[in-house]
Amino acid sequence: MPPSRRVRRSWREAAGRILGSWRVAVAEGSMLPTIAPGDWLLVDPTTRTWPRRGSVVVVREPDTAVLSLKRVVAGPGDTVPFAEGWLRLADDEAWLGADASVETAAAAGFGAPRDSRRYGPVPLDLLVARAWFRYVPWHRLGRLRRRQAVPNRGPVGPGRPAAPRLRR
Amino acid sequence: MSPLTRWLAPRTVVRAHCDLPCGIYDPEQARIEAESTYKIIEKMGANSDPAFTTRAIQIKEERAELVKHHLDVLWHDYFKPEHLEKVPNLHDLFWQATKQASKVKASTEIADAKKLLDMIDEIDAAWKLTGGEEKTRVAGRPA
Repeated sequence: MPPSRRVRRSWREAAGRILGSWRVAVAEGSMLPTIAPGDWLLVDPTTRTWPRRGSVVVVREPDTAVLSLKRVVAGPGDTVPFAEGWLRLADDEAWLGADASVETAAAAGFGAPRDSRRYGPVPLDLLVARAWFRYVPWHRLGRLRRRQAVPNRGPVGPGRPAAPRLRR
Repeated sequence: MSPLTRWLAPRTVVRAHCDLPCGIYDPEQARIEAESTYKIIEKMGANSDPAFTTRAIQIKEERAELVKHHLDVLWHDYFKPEHLEKVPNLHDLFWQATKQASKVKASTEIADAKKLLDMIDEIDAAWKLTGGEEKTRVAGRPA
């Protein structure tokens, strides 16, 4: 393929990704400090598999069905700390986490963040979109970066065992 | 809002979901609804007016549903995994109590409603054991 056509096609892909994206507004503060309530994001609804670890996704929360914004902490086949031991995720499951700690959320006036520590692994069926870009506020405009998040046992304080190394 | 802003504004809200910040969780809320079902069944026994019976049954079913709702909130949102160490049978307590609430919804036996009250008292004891009273009550009320 001549370079000009390759360029044109990648432009078309980029345009499709932007025009096909949904605009969503963020409410509540469990993704602080990375994503604040009131931010406007572009999310890509064409995603069909769990994005890589560290990506931000929109899911239907399993126990309430609300559209929820969370980070992928671990993906299919990974092992995460669970109750007293470890849990191996099935081929279609991901472990989602909030960026905010209980303290961060409380400082912003919210209760404890709700994530997989509350509702467990999330099946692929509940994945709605991958969040990839923030366009409001202007001064924080830009791509949402992937960020390695560490699965943990939840707000239990000191003495929690170290998380296992995840396969990369 | 300028036309441009309006054009750019999202139509969908996604929640970076948190618990409510109030942090008030109290078995008393379920207990009061359960007391309603108890009293309603008691009053139904003393009154044979069909119009009264119809209303009583409808209200009893509503209240029994509320018992389940309040117990669920307490179970999902107040109790944390670390509480299981103090109350190992916690899940069974809630499962049995919510099942009993379903039973009261359908039943007109006073014994069923009494049993539900007793089960909520057991949950209340578990809640007190995990420090719920100190953690979630404002100024010690309800006493």
